Amino acid sequence: MAEHGIPRYARKGARTEEARQQELRKIEIYRELEQSVRERIALHQYTPETLQKISELLSSNPEYYTIWNYRRQVLRSEFARAESNGSNEAAAEQVAALIKSDLLFLIPLLKSFPKCYWIWNYRVWLLDEAKRLLPASIASRFWQEELGLVSTMLNLDSRNFHGWGYRRFVIETLREFKSAEQTDEDMTKAEFDYAKKMIGANLSNFSAWHYRTKLIQRLLNERSASDEERRKMLDDELELIHRALCDPFDQSLWFYHQNLMCVFDPTVAAHTMAPNLSDSDRLEYLRQEIEEIEDMLDGAEDCKYLYQALIDCTLLAWKVEGITPGDAQKRAVLSWLAELKKLDPLRQRRWLDFEQSLAC
Amino acid sequence: MSLVSGPGKAAGCPSNQELCTQKHVEYIKNLDSRRDELEYWLTEHLRLNGVYWGLTALHLLGYPDALPRQETIDFVLSCQRDNGGFGAAPGHDAHMLYTVSAVQLLVTLDAVDELDKRGLGGREKIGSFIAGLQDKESGAFQGDEWGEKDTRFLYGAFNALSLLGLLDMVDVSKAVEYIKACENLDGGYGIRPGTETHAGQVFTCVGALAIAGRLDLVNKDRLGGWLSERQVENGGLNGRPEKLPDACYSWWVGASLAMIDRLHWIDSRKLTAFILQCQDSDAGGIGDRPGSMVDVFHTCFGVAGLSLLKFDGLQEVDPVYCMPKNITMRCLAP
Repeated sequence: MAEHGIPRYARKGARTEEARQQELRKIEIYRELEQSVRERIALHQYTPETLQKISELLSSNPEYYTIWNYRRQVLRSEFARAESNGSNEAAAEQVAALIKSDLLFLIPLLKSFPKCYWIWNYRVWLLDEAKRLLPASIASRFWQEELGLVSTMLNLDSRNFHGWGYRRFVIETLREFKSAEQTDEDMTKAEFDYAKKMIGANLSNFSAWHYRTKLIQRLLNERSASDEERRKMLDDELELIHRALCDPFDQSLWFYHQNLMCVFDPTVAAHTMAPNLSDSDRLEYLRQEIEEIEDMLDGAEDCKYLYQALIDCTLLAWKVEGITPGDAQKRAVLSWLAELKKLDPLRQRRWLDFEQSLAC
Repeated sequence: MSLVSGPGKAAGCPSNQELCTQKHVEYIKNLDSRRDELEYWLTEHLRLNGVYWGLTALHLLGYPDALPRQETIDFVLSCQRDNGGFGAAPGHDAHMLYTVSAVQLLVTLDAVDELDKRGLGGREKIGSFIAGLQDKESGAFQGDEWGEKDTRFLYGAFNALSLLGLLDMVDVSKAVEYIKACENLDGGYGIRPGTETHAGQVFTCVGALAIAGRLDLVNKDRLGGWLSERQVENGGLNGRPEKLPDACYSWWVGASLAMIDRLHWIDSRKLTAFILQCQDSDAGGIGDRPGSMVDVFHTCFGVAGLSLLKFDGLQEVDPVYCMPKNITMRCLAP
C-alpha cells in the first residue's frame, strides 16, 4: 500500500541535472507505454500485442489495478476467440495454453512483490476462469500446481498472510475437484501435516498455529470424532504446547495456549475441539494446567506470560465453578498480578483495570 | 497530490519530542509539485487515497485550508465513473477503496451537495454502486466487479454509506453476521472467515460494528488484551504477534482500542515518542519506522495516532472514520 522499511537516502533535491534528465526520460517512456495501452483498450484491440504491452506496463507497476482489469478483458476476448474456433477439445487446449502462460507471467512478479494484493487477486481470477472454462480434469491440475507455488512463497516469508489466505482458498477449491478415492479427511490431514511442518521449522510462526487450530476442528468434525477421540486430541495438543513452552518467552505459543484454554470456557467451548467436557473435567484440566505453569516458573520468574496464564486459568476455574472468590482465593491472583505489574510496565493500566475489577 | 515517498534524508531522527507541524504541512502541500519524479507517476493508482490522507493529516494538524478547496473538489469529481463509483484518478476503474476516499473527502470539504449539482446522479448513485457490491447471501462486500472479498470493503461500504445517510441501502444485519464469522478465539478478526487475526482487519471489523451500533458483539477484554500486546519495547505497535512495529499501526491498533474503550491499556507516552521518531524533521513527513522513507500514508496515520493520544495542538480524530471529529459530528448529527 505504501512504503515499508525503505531506508531514507540522500535528499532527492540534490540529484544532478543529468540524473533529473534521466528520470524525465524514464517518465516519458512509462507514460508513452501507459498511453499506448489505454488507446488500444479504448479501441477494443484485444490482441497479443496489446497483451504484450500490458505485461510490460504491469512489470514496471504491478499496483496499477486498472491495467490488471484490462488484462482480464484481453484474456476474456482471447478465450472467446479460442472457443469459437475448432472443436471443444482444441478450444480447451488453447484456453489452457493461454492460462498456463499467464500463470507463468505472474510468478516473477509475485516473487518481487509478494504483498501486492492485485497480483494475488488476478491469479485467483485466472484460476477461477480455468475452473469455469476447462474440463475438471485439466482445471484441477492447474489448481493442484498452485500448492507448489504457495509453499515456495511461504518458504520465502512464512508469515505472508496473502500466502496463507491463498493456500486456504486453493485447498477449498481442490476439495471441489477431489477424486472419488480421496476423502475430505485425507485433504485436511495433509494440510494438518503441512502446518505441523511449518511449526516445526519455526515455533514462533503464529500463522501456522492459527491454521492448526482451524484444521484440528475440521479434522475432528470430518471424522465424526467421539468425545473420547476429541479428548485424546486435546491431551496431545496440551502435551505439545507444554513441550514447546520450554521457551516461555514466545508470544505466539501463548496465543495458541490461550486458544486451547477456550476448551475449558463453558461460554465458548462449543467453538472448540472438545465441546462436551463436564465441568468437573474442565476443573481438573485447569488444576493440572496451573500446576504445569507453576513448574515452568522455575528459572523463568521474569516471564510475564506465565503469570498472565496463571491468572487466566484461575479466573476460568472460578467461572466454571460459578463461584465468587473470597479473599483467600484472590490472594494468589493478586500476587501474580503484582509480578505482572512489575514485569509489564507498557500495559500498566490494563493490569490496574484488572486489579480494580478484582476488588469489586 | 503525489504519493511519492521522500524526499527523505539520511540524517537521523529528531532527538526532541516535538511534532514538526510546519514541515509536515509543507511536505503535504508540495506533494503535487513532484511531477518530475518517476514515482509520482508510478503511484497514480493511489492518488485519490493520497488526497484523503493528505487532507485528513492537514485538518488534524490544524491547517484545514492548506489545499485549494475548489481544485480538490474538482479532482474528486473527475475520478467518478459512469457506474457511480470512483477510481484512483481520472480514467482509472471504479473500486470501493477510492469510492470511500471520495466520500470522505467530499464530507470533509463540506461539498456533498456538489454531487447533486455536478456529480453523476447524486449521492444515491454512489450508494447504489456500493450496494451492488454486497453479496446478498453472505453479507460480505467485494471491492469491484472482479470479485475479491475482504473485510476492508465491508468497512468501507459502511463508512461511506453512513456518511451519505444511506446505510439502509444494504443488508446491515447480514454484514454483521459475516463479521461475526471472521472472529477468532483471540477476540480478533481476519480478512475472511477462518483467517488469522490481523490488526488492520480488527480495525475494519470493529469500525464496521461501531457504525452498525453492534460493539456489544466484541469480546472487549479479550480483544483489548490482544491489541495491547501489539506494543513492543520501543513503544511502537505491530500488526500481528512477532512482527516489526510500524507507525501506521498506531492508527489501526490505537483506533480499535479507542473504539472498545481500552486505549489506556498501552503506554501512550512511549507510543508518542515512537511516532515522533518516525518523522523526517528536515523535509517533513512520517515513515513506517525511525529512519525509513516517509510517505503521505504513514504521515496521515502517524498524525492520526498522535491525535488519538490527545497530542497537544492536534485536532481530535474520530476513531471510527479517521476524519476530524468535528466534521463527522456535523455530518452524522441526527
